[in-house]
Parts: sequence; structure tokens; C-alpha cells
Amino acid sequence: MPNKFHNLLSVSIWMALPLCLNPIAAQAESRGYVIGWLATASYYTGDVKMGCPDGRNGGVVEMHARELEAIGFGKKEAVELQRKQRDTDAIVPEYRDKVYNRARINGKEGSVFTYPDFTSDPNVELYSGKYAYGFDLTGTAGPSKFEDPETHARVDNQLWRALGCINQYRTFPPQKPMLEDTSWDVFVDNAPAWTVQINGDDLSKDGKVTVTIGRATQHLLRDATSSTLRDATYIVDPASKTRNVLEGEIKDGVLTIKPAHIYLEGELPFYMDIELDNGHMRVNRQPDGKLIAYMGGFTDWKRYAYMSTARPFQDAAAIEGYHALKKVADSDPDPVTGQNRKISATFRWEAVPAYLADSKGNILASPDDLVQPQKVANNAAQ
Amino acid sequence: MTIFEKVEIDKTMNGIRHFSVRHAKSLSVGACLLVIAASFGARAAETNVSADKPTSMRISSSQYRRTIADIFGSSIVITARFEAETRENGLLAIGALNNSVSEDGFERYYEIAKDVAAQVTDKRHRAVLIPCKPKSATAGDEVCARKFLATTGRLLFRRPLKNDEIQALVAVSKDTANKKKDFYAGISTSLIDLLISPDFLFRYRNIEPDPARPGHFRLDSYSKAAILSSFLWNSNPDDLLLKAAENGSLQTDKGLAMQVDRMISSPEIESGVRAFFSDMLGLDQFDVLSKDAKFFPRFTPDAKRDAPEQTLRTIVDHVVDRQGDYRDLFTTRHTFMTRALAALYGVPLVETTDNARPMRWLAYTYPEGDPRAGILSQASFVALYSGAGRTSPTIRGKNFRLNILCQVVPPPPPNVDFSLIQDITNPKFKTVRDRLTAHRSNPTCAGCHRLMDPVGLAFENFDSSGGFRTTENGVPIDTSGEWNGVKFSGPVELTKALHDDPAVTACVARKVFAFASGAMPSGNSAQWKEIQTKFADSHFNFLQLMRAIAVSDLLYSVPETRVSLLEHK
Amino acid sequence: MGKLTDLIGRRRVLKGLLAGGTVSVGLPILDCMLDGNGEAFADTGAPIPVRFATWFWGLGFGEGVWVPKGSGTSYQLPDQMRALEPIRHKLNLFSGSEVFADGNPVATHVTGGQVTMTGRVENKIKYAGSLDCLVSDVIGNGRRFRSLQVTCSGNPVDSWSARKDGTKQLAETSPLALYTRIFGPDFRDPNAAEFTPDPNVMIEKSALTAVTERRNDLMRQLGAGDRAKLDAYFTSVRALETKLQVQLQKPAPMLACVRPGKPPEDDGGVVTLVSDAMARHDLFANLFASALACGQTNVVNLTITEGMSGLRFEGETASHHSLSHEEPIDPALGYQKKCFEYQKVYMKGLLEFASAMDGIKEGDKTMLDRMLIFAYTDHGAPRLHSLHNYPTITVGSAGGRLKTGMHVPHAGQPITRVSLTAMQAMGVPIASFGTGSNQANSAIAEVVV
Repeated sequence: MPNKFHNLLSVSIWMALPLCLNPIAAQAESRGYVIGWLATASYYTGDVKMGCPDGRNGGVVEMHARELEAIGFGKKEAVELQRKQRDTDAIVPEYRDKVYNRARINGKEGSVFTYPDFTSDPNVELYSGKYAYGFDLTGTAGPSKFEDPETHARVDNQLWRALGCINQYRTFPPQKPMLEDTSWDVFVDNAPAWTVQINGDDLSKDGKVTVTIGRATQHLLRDATSSTLRDATYIVDPASKTRNVLEGEIKDGVLTIKPAHIYLEGELPFYMDIELDNGHMRVNRQPDGKLIAYMGGFTDWKRYAYMSTARPFQDAAAIEGYHALKKVADSDPDPVTGQNRKISATFRWEAVPAYLADSKGNILASPDDLVQPQKVANNAAQ
Repeated sequence: MTIFEKVEIDKTMNGIRHFSVRHAKSLSVGACLLVIAASFGARAAETNVSADKPTSMRISSSQYRRTIADIFGSSIVITARFEAETRENGLLAIGALNNSVSEDGFERYYEIAKDVAAQVTDKRHRAVLIPCKPKSATAGDEVCARKFLATTGRLLFRRPLKNDEIQALVAVSKDTANKKKDFYAGISTSLIDLLISPDFLFRYRNIEPDPARPGHFRLDSYSKAAILSSFLWNSNPDDLLLKAAENGSLQTDKGLAMQVDRMISSPEIESGVRAFFSDMLGLDQFDVLSKDAKFFPRFTPDAKRDAPEQTLRTIVDHVVDRQGDYRDLFTTRHTFMTRALAALYGVPLVETTDNARPMRWLAYTYPEGDPRAGILSQASFVALYSGAGRTSPTIRGKNFRLNILCQVVPPPPPNVDFSLIQDITNPKFKTVRDRLTAHRSNPTCAGCHRLMDPVGLAFENFDSSGGFRTTENGVPIDTSGEWNGVKFSGPVELTKALHDDPAVTACVARKVFAFASGAMPSGNSAQWKEIQTKFADSHFNFLQLMRAIAVSDLLYSVPETRVSLLEHK
Repeated sequence: MGKLTDLIGRRRVLKGLLAGGTVSVGLPILDCMLDGNGEAFADTGAPIPVRFATWFWGLGFGEGVWVPKGSGTSYQLPDQMRALEPIRHKLNLFSGSEVFADGNPVATHVTGGQVTMTGRVENKIKYAGSLDCLVSDVIGNGRRFRSLQVTCSGNPVDSWSARKDGTKQLAETSPLALYTRIFGPDFRDPNAAEFTPDPNVMIEKSALTAVTERRNDLMRQLGAGDRAKLDAYFTSVRALETKLQVQLQKPAPMLACVRPGKPPEDDGGVVTLVSDAMARHDLFANLFASALACGQTNVVNLTITEGMSGLRFEGETASHHSLSHEEPIDPALGYQKKCFEYQKVYMKGLLEFASAMDGIKEGDKTMLDRMLIFAYTDHGAPRLHSLHNYPTITVGSAGGRLKTGMHVPHAGQPITRVSLTAMQAMGVPIASFGTGSNQANSAIAEVVV
């Protein structure tokens, strides 16, 4: 059961408005956050067979074995050969070049990462379970819809259908799927953070709000446990391509937005960007002030897959994922080939309270997890 | 009553030691002396020096570093740890009077000396730091070695080297140079010799006959210079100060005042101020401070590194740049922060430098009425004097008294039977004030604890990491108490109640003197009263206090009993 | 001929042999390096030295419930010491010892350790001549390190060791740093066939000698107080000189010497979790065992923390010290439950420590048999800051000079008698130890062979 955006039982504690200050009721509120966690929304219960009755994808060993099969080995032989490796995470070294150059473009050899379309489909098992996180993007019923485990609505998430049986995606928070996990760690200390600002008349009640997702000029700061530092101050980059002003409302304590186009500019090694058509979002506020959100829409699956294929050997499942995504993509057909270019997808993010400011020193938004409130006042930089 | 002129700090100096004579601003003394009756707390007056007590002071680790940086430049890096210094009567400087060098300590000095010497003589530095060139780089060269060692030795030993000293050093240098066929290796070995010498590692109070008072003795000029430079600049005497010692002007009132004024109006005075307050506030203890990251995630390594610096910057800004009233340090809303500290305190700090640049220090002023004001609300007090998990009002109160008021609360007596007062039927106390009820209600405990706990409880809005809170375990925190009959609530009101307590200014004066000399001053002498008066008359301008002490005979006193043991050089 | 000339004389001798030549014969040994306990020359069959260790844990055992009822060899180990069962026959437990304040102000968590180690109740300035230094004065010569000090807490001042002149010996806090100091580039394997004295060491020594040669000049100008300080300084210089001198000598072979593995990265900073401190403890124990076995030193000292142990178990906000005062006594058990858990962990550490020594075989015995570990604490019952009923533990027989496997009820007796017993077993020529009510004039006969 998700935590409500406002807690009707103990308003005075988390609202952080002291009894002596701020006697004016219903002053417009502006709360600031930075996104400290973002990944593909994964649904996994820990049950190995969940959603993948065939069970044929296996793990890393089996995946590399399929690559060896693709260059001519028999199935049993391939598995044994790979299993014998000291480092099973990597393909058998002597066949590495052959495996990763097995793409054929007009008969010429090419790297599978550069020419995934010219590599044969490894044909992995697709996810066929009942649940996946997401939103109803089409408004119509259909057999390809999942049930969202939280809202129990019928939702679209073909991305999960494609990837949900690939081992490295079968995680649950705070763990991210493997590639996103390792990439995020590098991303955090270098790339500018994403900011979230929520404005409304009174965020402790249901009502209309505006959610602004932008980008800071600075990267995230870590706290003493290596998580995201709370209550730090970030300057919102006025020139960033990431500026989404989303209309939303809080209803029954959950914040949702009117469907809109969402664009987040990222950086390799993480996603170069995340772009969602018909973007949906739902946000829940935890008692300690943290936001947990799901964000979904139609995204260009090639650009999604690029995060894997752009970094050869970082993601052993790059080609498998690529072909799976291609197979079940469900939107925006190419006028010539008919291949769907976009896929329904869902991401999950978490944000911690922060001060947001502009470069002139004006405080735009404050954190709401502080006991000693700071007025949203000018504090000019030197 | 004359108001002292504010001392002008020449900011154009940028911290570079100036080797030419500078015009020093002269200050006038107040025409009428106000006798300030000051209370000195529980401490008995201590005599400055006596024959059986040591008078030499071991160089502190920060003085060592500053001296190396001043002589050889800041590109010489010292990475090793020094031997720990011991705190006595609340000051490391007093401990320095009693500290010798342990085996482990000597080995550390030795390693540092080797490291420094290797850097000074390496290819990058030798052209600049060893100005003369040897006739041959693969053999000894007495002339060049002598030049370098005499110059460097004078700056390290705080006096010119004697002929036989130079001779011995040159011989060592030559010996090594010939063995290793490397002139610079020879220089390195003799430089190591200088750096591990007791003449460098200790400062001495050497005496000579006083020509103005036949039969009596006075400190020699070099001893005075050493005291002055370590006190005001936290370093060894520079060339100008040594020249003033050499030509005898330091032994005259006018000459002494001229050097003192030069040193106080230099940007280097910041080093002296920092060194003093770092010692007085116990900031070296940050080295051994640890907080549980799970409970205090915002106490990051950056915040821990920045916390003592925040306080020192606040102090320098107040007493050096603005030359404000010392007492206002405890109520000032002006401070400096980095983003890491701002997050710890939960305040906004708008930092516009580019991504991934080092965090800058930015000025921050708390809003009017904010409960966080003064240096005692900063992490350097509230986090430093707390455990890794819980706060301890007793520890905060004890150190408040010791550091700010010079009041020592005695340790608990042995065999206190806690079973008599421990309420074992209600072991779950919600706030720390509840937990300390026992301290207050039992007469055996209350005597001492009422000196510490009420003060410490005033700071309970600050958790163990320095973060602000208003409740503990869901219960509102009560920070009220009483000081000398004045009721207060919270630390700002407490420090306001303290503002006019003479113990505050009397204590810092005593500590500054002890910092300069290694021992607390005798409180009854006319000279001490004069210092106190100057301090008060200047509206408690801290630099004026330093000046008053630096020109006072009290700082340079000689124990009469030493005379009989003296042999002339 | 004074010592100084001797050194110069030897320097000339050594100079001639340097220039990169390999030395296959042992160089003449300086007078100061001979000691009554002899060296372990395999060819001469001289006796293997007896070693000594002190081991400190904070906050004792609490209220008296732990005192065993039996005495002599038939007694039950106290519950918190159960882990030591496998080596109970090699240890002695002394219960009930007293520390007397004699009207002096008592420094809580300090006076107990101070009296145990120095025999006197004094302030920190006068803390001098600790038990381990008295022992190392006798058996420490001739080794590269006169003694070694470590602490698991990360704070170098958590050491009870001080020379007779008052110079406190600070503790190393990082196992890696200790390893580098002992087994790093300056280590000479005593069992190596060839030995080449390092010419750089000779040059380093010459810088030191130039310093000591100025000593008389300097001393003449100083008052008595300063002379004492400078004396301590020169003693430290001398110690380094001796160490360098030892490095120029071919070390005597040590049969049991094996160079240990390098410990993991550790900056030696402060730790507050019990697990972190004890992890360091185990690494130190093994390094000490190797250092002793390789003849690098004969005296080692370890403290887990200071008396006021600030250690916590994971997830606890209160430290062991806070708990020792605040935790109520469990009415059924008769002691403080949480504090008991800490004591168990420390005692397990003592087992690790002793076992590390026991694991070194020297001929027909183990190193533990040929040494004495002296384990002590700051308060018997820290809840009351009481100076009564101290537990003291010795492990090992000091080369057969002490009986082991015994519980010695020592109620009402000064703890300094245990200290004296240990020192006499190590060959320190003293007849009494301590002042005032803490004066001990005789060893504890029950354990003396």
C-alpha cells in the first residue's frame, strides 16, 4: 500500500511549519527535490520462474552459450564450454572476436553492437507474467496489457515484456538492473542532477499542482552512506533541454499528471536521454519526505537499447534485449518498413528533498523534511 | 578613555612574506587606565617559569608545517602524521611545555625530515631553493653548502648558527656528497640534520645579563623573536624579525612595538589567530571524531572536514577583518559555509561554480531570530562534543566551561553508587533531560552536574551531528535554564546572558597568554591588569589583546632562580 | 673511552666494509645489545628469549557475579570468559584486586590502569615508567624495536606505555602501517642466507650522530626542567641510532620466523563499531606474533580502546561506556546484559591474541609457553567507577617461571602485586612496585614456580 502524499493523522509533524512562524494560512508552497535513483521499473518477487515458465533464458552462462551457438556450436557443447571458464561473466576468450563480429552486412563482417539489425535474433523467452508497472497508454483493452501491482489498473509495458525474463533485469529496489546500477554510480558523480519542483496552494490537501522537472547545473551530492544527500542546494539550469512543466493534481494523497511529453536529458554511460510520448506519472510521498514515482509512456526503443549497445561488452544481454524490444515494440510504425519505432515503457525514480535556486540566488523551492524552516528568501551568492 | 585605532590589515600582501622594511602603524595608549575587576574562576594563579619547570616549548605540528611552507614554499608537501600533542588545562600549547619527543615521535620527525629534504633538493626545487650552484654536481662544494646551510639554519633555528655548527653540517654534507657522488644528496643529509635537531624542534627561553639592571637577567633577543613569531604568526621568525633581534632593537620598547605592529598588520596574523582558536576550541579533536553514518547521513566526510574551518573563518572574519567585539562571537549570525555544511544545517546556499569544481566557501547570514547564532551553535562545538550516536549535555557543558570560561569541573568521585539513584523501574527515558534527572536530584552528583548539565541542555536542539531538531523520540525538547539568575531558553539566549559575564573575556585573555608562553599568567600583577584594561578599553578587540600581551614584560619574564645555574656561552 | 668514541670507532670499521660489498660474517655487536636473556643463535644453542605482551580492555567485568567460587586449578571460568576454555590451562585469573586512591583525586577510567601499570596514582604529566617499559628495559635491547604499541580504536593516545622519563609511547592505529613499519622495506629476514648492509643506512646514521654530538653544548644552557625534557629527546635519538645499527647487523636466525601477508588498506582512523575494532585486533595479533617470532621485538602492547570504551554494536546509539552506567542490572541475571555481550567479545579477542602466539612452534613448545601476556582493565565494576574487585588475567608461563591454569582470589590485595609478579617472572630486578597503599613487596606465591 503506497504512502499517501499527505498524512491525515499527523499533519503537524511532517508539514514542517512551526506553530510560531508563518501564520498566514494557505500560502502557496514550493517544494524542491533532486532525483537520486532512476531505473527501468522492474517487477520481481524473487521467484526464479516468475513470468518465465519456459525458463530457457537462464543466466549469464546460458546467454554466452547462445552466442557460441550462433557461431556454430551445438547447444550442449556451448554450455559446457562456457561453464568451464574461470570468469563465466565473459565469453570464452578465444571465440570472443568471432562472436562479437558475427554481424553480416552484405556478406561483410561487422560488430554486433554497431549492426544489431544484421545479427540474428537470439530469440530469448519473453516475459509473460501477470504484473508489470505502468500506465494505460492506449485507453483500449487488449491482451498485451499487464496489471500494475500497485494500482491494479490495466497497463502498457511492452518493454517489460521484452526484457522481463533477461536475468539482469530481474531485480527489485533499491537494486537496479545491473547495467543501470553500474552506470548510475558513475553518472551520479559527474552528470548534472535532475530536479523536481512541486508547486501548489496547499500540498497537504488534494488539489491542483504543477510539477516541474528540470536539470541542475551541479551533480548530485552523496551523503555519508553514499546515498543522496538531503537538503543540499542545487541551481536549476536555465538553459537545459530538460524543462518539463507538467500539470498535475493530488488526489487521495497520490500525485498524478495530465499526460504530456516528457524529456530528460542524460549522459552516457547512463541513458543519453529519456523521452516519453504520452508521458504519465504517479508520485507518492514517504513520511520522511522522499518521493517515489513511476513514470511511463512511449519511448524510442533503439535509443533505449543504445545505452547497452553503445558500450560493447558492458551488457552481455545487449543483442538479446535489442531483438526482444524490436519484436514487441507497440507504437509509431515506420511508414516504409512498418516496424514500430516506439515501445511502451515505465521507469521508476526516487527523489530526496533539496533547495532549488536560480543562478541569481533566488530560492525557488525548499525541502520539506526540515524542522527549522528557512524562509524562501533571497540569499545572493558571492 | 581613548578608543584604540583599528589595525589595518594589508590585504595586498596575499600572504607572501615581505623582506623589506615596512612602515608600521603606531597605536596610542589610553590616557586613563580603567581597572577592571575580573574573576578568574577556580584556577589558582600559576607562576610563569621556575628553574625546575621546563621553559622550552616543542614546536606544534601546524607551526612545523607553516615554517616549512614559509621557508621553502607551499609546494613542499608533508603527508606524514606528526606525533600527537597533549592537551593540558585545555590547551595544547601548555602541553607543549611538557612534551618531549618519544621514540615513535622522533621516528616520525625523522621520516618527515627525510621527505622534506628530498623534495627541497629534487630537480624541480633545487634551482629555486638552493640559489648557489656547486662547482660540480657530483661532488661536495663547501662554499655553496655553507651558504645554503647558514641561511636555512638561521631560519630553522631562529638564530644564526655558530661557526662550529656550520662546520659540522658542512662536513656531513661533504662526506655524503663524496660518498654518493651527488652534491644535492649531501645537502639533503645536512638538511635532515637541521630538521631533526632539538634547536629546531624546541623553542628555548635563553637568558643573558640585563644591562639596564645589573645583576639581573633578561631573555635574549632570539628567544623573544621565537615567542613573537610562534604567537602572532604560528611560525618561525622571518628575516626582518631576526634582523631586529640581531641589531638589538627587539630589546627596546620602541623596537619591540614596531615589530609587533608590523606582524599584527600583516595578513599572516590570520595564522596566529587561527592557531589560537583552534587550540582553545579543541578543533584538533576532529581528527578522532566519528559519527554513525546511519543515524547522521548528512555528516559527510566533507562536512566533517569543513566544520572546524567554518568556525575559524567565522572567527577570522569577526576578529581580524571586522575587528569586532570578542563577545559577539557567541551571538553573531554571520558565518561561512560550503554546500556540504549547508545541507548538514538544512540551510540554502547558492553556489554558482561549475559542476564538479571544489566547493567554495560562501558567506551565509542566519535570518533574524534564528536559533542558530554564534560559534557555539556550529558543528565545531555541538558535534565535536557529542558521541557517535547520542548527545551528551554533560560533555557539552563541561567543555563549554573549560573552553570558554576557563572553569574546570572536577571528575566524578570513585565508588559513586548509581544503584541508589537509578530508577530501574522506568528505564525508558524519552529525552536526555529525563535521563539526566538523576544527575540533578542526587546531592552527591548535583554539585558538579549542575555546573555542566543545564548549559549542555541548552544545546539539545542540536543533535549529535550538529543538525537542528525540535523533538527527541517524539517529545518536544526543552532548552530552558538559568545563568547567574538570568533565565534563558536555547543557546542564543544563553550566550546573550553570558555577554556581560567578565569570566568570558578574562578567560580568553588568560588563554591567549598561555598560548603564547605555555603557562597561565599570574593574575595579580600590575602588568596583567594593564593587559586586561587594554583589552576592555578596545571594546574587546582581539588583535589589541594580542598586541597588549606581545609588548608586555610579562611575556618575557625570567625566573630569578635560574640565574644561579646559568653558564655564559 | 666513552660510548661516543666507541661509536665513532665502529663507524670507521664499518666504513671500510661498505661500498656495496656483501658481508657474510656477523659484525661486532655493540655492548648495549647484549642482554641477560641471550639471543637465539641456532648454532650456539643459546636459549630462546622470553617475550612479553600487555593487553588492555575497557570496562572490566561489572558487578562481582563473575568471581569464580573455586580457587586453584579447579574452578569454573566466568561466563564472559567461556571462549577461553580451550586455553584455560595456560592462563591465570586474579580476582578481587584493589586500587587505592590514598586520598588523591581519582581519574575515572584512568586511575585503575595507571596504578596497574605504574604503581602510582598521579596525573597524566607524571605518568612514567610503565610496567611494559620496565620489562623492555631488560629484554628489549638488541631488537630492532624496543617495544611496539598498538590500539584498535584509531586514537593514538590510547596507550598505557611510558618510559621512565615520562615520555609517552603512542600507539599505532593501522595494521597496514604497522606491517609496513616492521615488515616493509627495512625488514631483514633473519633466515636469509646472504646479508648486505644498506649503505644509505650508514649515511642516515651519520646525520643522527651529528645531532647527538651537539648534546653537551645544548644541555649546558638549559635549566633543570628543560634538561630532563631534552634528555628524553636524546634517548629517542639514541633509540633510532640503535635501530639503524641493528639494521647494519646480520640478524640472528629465528627458526619460527615467517614473513606475514600484507593486511588490507586501513587508514587507522577512529572506529566506533565493535566489529571494526576487533577486526583490527585480530590483524594486530597476527602481526605481533610474527614480529615476535622474527625477533623484531620482544615486547608488544595492545589496547582495544581507552578505558571509556566508545565502541558500539551495529545499530546501537549508546556506546559500551554509556551502557555501563545507564543499563540497569538484570534482576534475574545479576549483571548488565548488554555490557556482558561486549565483555564476551573482548574475551574472544583475548583468545585470538593468545592463539596467535600459541600457533608459533618453537622447538618442543609454543611461543605462548615462552611468553607472558598481561591482560588488565580500568575498573572492576565500571558502573560505579569503583576501584574494587579487578579482574586481571595472565596467559602463558613466562618460560616456565609461572604456574598456570589457576584462579587466584586476591580480594583486598593491591593490584600491583599482580604487576610485580609478572615483572619478576620476566626478570625485572625489582623487589617492590608501587607507592603508598599500592605498594607491593612480594609476588603472589601461589603462581610462582
